[in-house]
Amino acid sequence: MDAEITLRVDGADQPVTVDTRTTVLDALRERLGNTSPKKGCDHGQCGACTVLVDGRRVLSCLMLAVAADGAEVTTAAGLANGDLHPVQRAFIDHDGFQCGYCTPGQICSAVGVLEESDGELSRAEVAERMSGNLCRCGAYPGIVAAVEQAAGEQR
Amino acid sequence: MDFFRPDSLAEALAAKAEHADAVPIAGGTDVMVELNFDHRRPAALLDLGRIVELHEHGRQDGKVRIGAAVPYARIIDELGRELPGLAMAARTVGSPQIRNRGSVGGNLGAASPAGDSHPALLAANAEVEIASIRGTRMVPVKDFYTGVKRNVLAPDELITAVHIAPATGAQQFSKVGTRNAMVIAVCAFGLALHPDQKRVGTGLGSAAPTPRPATKAEEFIATELDWESPKPLADSVLRRFGALVAEAASPIDDVRGSAAYRRHALAVLARRTLGWAWSEHLGGGRRACA
Amino acid sequence: MTGLLEPKAIGTDLRRRDGALKVTGAARYAYEAPVDNAAYAHPVQATIGRGRVTSVDTAAAEALDGVIAVLTHENAERLASTEDAELAVLQSGDVAFRGQVIALVVAETSETARHAADLVTVHYDEQEHDCVLDPDGELYKPDKVNPAFETDTAVGDVAGAMASADVTVEQTYTTAMYHNNPLEPHATTALWQPAGDGGDLTLWDSTQGVHPARSTVAEVFGLAEDQVRVVCPYVGGGFGSKGTPHAHVILAAAAARAVPGRPVKLALTRPQMFALAGYRTPTIQRMQLAANRDGVLSAIAIDVVEQTSRIKEFAEQTGVPTRTMYRAPNRRTTHRLAALDVPVPSWMRAPGECPGMFGPEVAMDELAEALGIDPVELRIRNEPEVDPDTGHPFSSRNLVACLREGAARFGWDERDPRPGVRLRDGWLIGTGVASSVYPVHQMPQSTATIRCEDGRYVVEIGAADLGTGTWTTLAQIAADALAVPVADVQVCIGDTAYPMASVAGGSSGMITWGSAVVEAAHAFREKFGDDPADGDEAEGSVSENPMAERYAMYAFGAQFAEAHVNADTGEIRVPRLLGVFAAGRIVNPRTARSQFQGGMTMGLSMALHETSVMDPRFGHVVNHDLAEYHVATNADVADLQAHWLDEHDDKVNPMGVKGIGEIGIVGTAAAVANAVHHATGVRVRDLPITLDKLLPHLP
Repeated sequence: MDAEITLRVDGADQPVTVDTRTTVLDALRERLGNTSPKKGCDHGQCGACTVLVDGRRVLSCLMLAVAADGAEVTTAAGLANGDLHPVQRAFIDHDGFQCGYCTPGQICSAVGVLEESDGELSRAEVAERMSGNLCRCGAYPGIVAAVEQAAGEQR
Repeated sequence: MDFFRPDSLAEALAAKAEHADAVPIAGGTDVMVELNFDHRRPAALLDLGRIVELHEHGRQDGKVRIGAAVPYARIIDELGRELPGLAMAARTVGSPQIRNRGSVGGNLGAASPAGDSHPALLAANAEVEIASIRGTRMVPVKDFYTGVKRNVLAPDELITAVHIAPATGAQQFSKVGTRNAMVIAVCAFGLALHPDQKRVGTGLGSAAPTPRPATKAEEFIATELDWESPKPLADSVLRRFGALVAEAASPIDDVRGSAAYRRHALAVLARRTLGWAWSEHLGGGRRACA
Repeated sequence: MTGLLEPKAIGTDLRRRDGALKVTGAARYAYEAPVDNAAYAHPVQATIGRGRVTSVDTAAAEALDGVIAVLTHENAERLASTEDAELAVLQSGDVAFRGQVIALVVAETSETARHAADLVTVHYDEQEHDCVLDPDGELYKPDKVNPAFETDTAVGDVAGAMASADVTVEQTYTTAMYHNNPLEPHATTALWQPAGDGGDLTLWDSTQGVHPARSTVAEVFGLAEDQVRVVCPYVGGGFGSKGTPHAHVILAAAAARAVPGRPVKLALTRPQMFALAGYRTPTIQRMQLAANRDGVLSAIAIDVVEQTSRIKEFAEQTGVPTRTMYRAPNRRTTHRLAALDVPVPSWMRAPGECPGMFGPEVAMDELAEALGIDPVELRIRNEPEVDPDTGHPFSSRNLVACLREGAARFGWDERDPRPGVRLRDGWLIGTGVASSVYPVHQMPQSTATIRCEDGRYVVEIGAADLGTGTWTTLAQIAADALAVPVADVQVCIGDTAYPMASVAGGSSGMITWGSAVVEAAHAFREKFGDDPADGDEAEGSVSENPMAERYAMYAFGAQFAEAHVNADTGEIRVPRLLGVFAAGRIVNPRTARSQFQGGMTMGLSMALHETSVMDPRFGHVVNHDLAEYHVATNADVADLQAHWLDEHDDKVNPMGVKGIGEIGIVGTAAAVANAVHHATGVRVRDLPITLDKLLPHLP
């Protein structure tokens, strides 16, 4: 069964026809051509599909597109507004990625971490809060350093 | 697949009455996994995302009422003082992204023995609020689970909330896993002191086909604790308590751990959490005035 | 060799050139190929462990709105070559392992394809299957082990040395079945254009080598190589599993040929990857060490038992590193295989060295303990002057320097050797060490071209960047070879439209492709001098290194781990992991550190988390997703440090590089296991080290 919905993706309204089974992730990737969020497991177990929905980080593979009708979705592509987002620059500075496949999800997640925390985070806290995003290349030390740098800039 | 997206609880209950096979979905962290795994191909989904009262918490008859779809992240941020045990359990759920969407109602609906909130709900004597167009009923959480991934819900019913008395004593939750994050519990244990009732509540996770309390351990420790003039607990008492908790389990061997390991670890978690909670109680506890 | 390139760009700490594309998600991976009107393919997998498909009922699937085709062994095209049984998809009803593809649905949407795959009904004639690796079961001796090593080697009399030694260690160690699990699931977008000279096939495939993938696909379909183009600018991790095409590539191409002119997208699901994308065989390693009281080895032997699939052999070279590591007059290595009804094993990061440095390096720790000699010192005492396997001198060997440097950085000197005596806040604490080794591999073929365009230099080579940094590091090499600023170099990789490059495997990329780029640069300068005109172009290829016949060429390393084990629950944490490597010249410290650290993280994951649990009743991996197949998370990695020595080796290649993608995973698991033993006194010889294995023995 198909449904007509509108997602606001990276600041632009995107009307789209989806199957009621279509996830936000597949709607973005296969219907709207936004392949910034990645599919790593389709089960909410890897974090590669992380996007910001109404400002909070969520797993887009666990969210039905029909249930997100009218929602504001921000992908890593949308975070870069002309210039790279400070979190994105920090990831490049600290080599917080290798193959790059988990990276857009890591970036969105890191932006979520900064949004969710009001105080200073310890290294261990950053690592814990970033643990919903697997990186098989093992770029974790760089990811933590990048989040710390971006947090420092934010303060 | 049909998709229903009611705007109110009344509409949701009506839809559920008419379409008993519709699977309720809120944060999606359980249902969507089943869907994407092809474990289920439901005829219809019932999206609870728009129903305001399911996403709110507040006080009702002296208890905290948590709407079934309130995400774990809000329980951690907003209810840590009143419900420390549940907040601790919520902190160990999946990943931060899961905690932003997953809810106690979803955990109860799935009724997986590994669900993180169950031990805390059991220890705190939570009650589950269940509604249908026929009316609303309250079920003590210990009576809620009926088998592996099964519960007392009738086909036309929805979980609408859980009700939990604010903590009157120290509460603990402890979980063993094989990595530092994104852990499905090898086993978990929740404990709550109820000085007002002169008893201790317990809950076991990943230790039996259903989450369950360790009743004999609760009975034993109720007779051992001196609530009027509390004294440090003898190691023998802690050990006996741990042994009784382990006895309450009927675990299995699986990918995550062996039955023997689970029994051992439960005994450790039980005596540890009781020790911590009782120390807090002895020390006047930050929750003495709660 | 005539001396090394003078390093200017080489050795500088450049940021990744593909960084901006990756942090925004603009880098396009195989499934994301920009094509119009794509159809979607979803495989149907066998649900028996062995037997034959007797009938496939596709009616219900075909009746579903949006289904374009259902391919089965009855209607799929006949392939030109079925020599590689893993790739001979849909050619017969035979089922060789559970999860093998027996049908493929092509549909208008991915949701419909998946749904339709569910509706295909299959009947089987089921036979008994065997998927249990049993060292006492039926085994055979393969002709060679991967890729072309002798299966067995023997020098002297190990049994005699064992009988007369002061101290011996004789133990069996096991490593688990591991799945590569790159974050990007294996995916192919395929387009068959029947027009033109017999038609053209374009594959956007997630692969570690576009040219090797093209050769394979062309052969399987009986096409000329120039009819096939493979494109892959970005690979979402491979770790060996994308080193050779697996069945899904052929399926995607076959589907595309069934719907000419229409692109078809196929991505394996995470659970499907556990049957269809290769894995590392479990290994059983029987170790023997004999030594005198001073710790000098008189014998070292490893007898390996591992599995392969009944339909296609892959013989992991697990015993090979033991041939080179330590001096001992009496030596033996053997490999025996069990051919089982299991998915086809394949390459996974450091095949051979990774599992093969677990048993020996734990055995060395056991020997050190038995002798009362420090484990760092024991290794130093057994340092060979020449390669014990070939008798050749090493082009450079700095294992001892790595051990010493690592010990100093780690604070090893303060170590109390007694196991199980440090308890702090309920946690038992210990430290461990192990050696790392990885050979210098140069592939026989690779060609690069360099062309002058608008005053810049365009380097073209069909190489791959799996996250290894090729986009950036090849530019650094070209810059120094041309003696120009790195900003003047543009690199083009990941497309068979560029000259032939070898697979990104065996840590050979920088060595092989870099050599081709250096050759091309020399040819370019020779031809056009220092002031070339636009359009000037020269080509260069890697050539055989005559030094390789006269020298043993290896990178070495030493890894140090600190383990904390909860005295009550057996939970294990590794707060510190430190590696020091001697791997030739480092082209880019920033990306190199990531490579080493990434390998070490995967080694940590192997030590504590990873194991694919095979259900012998059904023949499938039970924990076939990322919730249950645990890989290390961010919170599992604490203080992780990779260092390297400034190593000068002018024999390996003109850049002086040895390859760094794999050595980081070698020895890590042994270092962790040795640290856990030092913490607890419990010797776990079977990976992974889990709570259950420790708990019954904790003090």
